[in-house]
Amino acid sequence: MDGVTNSGVSHAGPLIAFTDAAVTAKNSGALGLDFARLALVRSIGAEAMVDAAAVIGGFDGITRIADATGIPLEASKAEQTADLRTELNIDELGAAKW
Amino acid sequence: MIVATTTQSTAIGPQIRPDLARALDAAWHNIGGAGTWWTGEERIAIATETRQAIHCELCRARRDAVSAAMVSGQHDNAVDLPPPAVEAIHRIRTDSGRLGAGWYKSLVAAGLSDEQYVELLSVVAIVVATDTFRRAAGLPLLSLPRARPGVPSRRRPQGAKPGLAWMPTLAPEDRTEADPDLYREHPGPRERGGGNVHQALSLVPDSMIHWWDIFETMYLPAPAMRDFSREYRAISHPQIELIAARVAALNQCAY
Repeated sequence: MDGVTNSGVSHAGPLIAFTDAAVTAKNSGALGLDFARLALVRSIGAEAMVDAAAVIGGFDGITRIADATGIPLEASKAEQTADLRTELNIDELGAAKW
Repeated sequence: MIVATTTQSTAIGPQIRPDLARALDAAWHNIGGAGTWWTGEERIAIATETRQAIHCELCRARRDAVSAAMVSGQHDNAVDLPPPAVEAIHRIRTDSGRLGAGWYKSLVAAGLSDEQYVELLSVVAIVVATDTFRRAAGLPLLSLPRARPGVPSRRRPQGAKPGLAWMPTLAPEDRTEADPDLYREHPGPRERGGGNVHQALSLVPDSMIHWWDIFETMYLPAPAMRDFSREYRAISHPQIELIAARVAALNQCAY
C-alpha cells in the first residue's frame, strides 16, 4: 500500500483516518485516535502530523464560524461548484436548519 | 520527541513549529482579557461552557433528532451565563451544521446582541480549534487562562452594514481609519482579502483579528494558500485541502 487513494493525494488514507478520528474523538474514543496518529507519524513523520493536526483544529473552528453567521458562498464560487453541489445534494443540507 | 515551546504546554510531546506555538499561546491568553462586549470573566465562562457542551444531554438528543427544533429542555450548563448565550454556545459547539437564521433571530429576541454573539462565537471557535488540535496531536488540553480585569470597549465599527450575514458586517470598502488593520488594503501586515468568510466576524474587529491570527497560522495565510511554487508546511497544499474538505464534510459545513 503506497498511501495513495482515489483522490490522488499522497498518503490520503492515513490523513483521512487521522482527521476522522480527531474530529469524532468524543464519539469513537481516544484509542482510535491514538492508532490513527501513530499510523500517520509512521507514514509521513511527526512534524507533518502536527501540521495536519493544526489544519484539523483550524477547520473545526472555522466551519463553526461559517455556519453560525449565515454567510453565503461567494457568487463566483457558487457558480463554479454548481454541478458538484447538485450531484452531492449539498444544498439540501439546509432543509434541516434551525 | 522534543519539548514543546508553548508556555502552557511544556510537556514532552511532538515538536510544534515556533510560529504556531506563539499563535496558540497568544490566542489562549487573549481569551482571559476583557473583550469588546464581554469581560474577561465572561469570556472564560464562555470557554468553560464550550467544553461543557459536549456533555449536554439536551444537545445529544437534539443532534439525534431530525430537527433540533423538535427537542426542548434545559442545557446541562456549567457556568452562569444568560440563557441565550448558553444556547448559542451549545448549538455552535455540538450542531453547527444545522444552524439557521430563525434560530439566530430567537437568540437576539431573547436579549443576546449581534455584537455579543459575534464575540462569543470567536471564543467558542478558538477553544474548539485549540482543543481539537491538541487532542489530535496527542497533547493534553490546556487549563483555561485566568480572567483578567478590564472593561469591554463596546466599540462597534461605524461602517458595519446588514445584508451579507445574519448580523451586520464590515466590508473592506467600509472600514475607516478608526478601525484596526483587518484587510489586505489596510496598512498591514494582515493580508485578508475580504471574502465572505473573512467578513463573518467583522462586526467585532478585535474578535476577527483574534480568530484569523490563529487560524492562518494553523492553516495558511492567504498569499501562501495560493502560492503553489513551494510548500509552507510539512504537509503539501493538496494534503492540507484534503484535510480541510474532510473536516467540513464531517461538520456538515456547506460553505
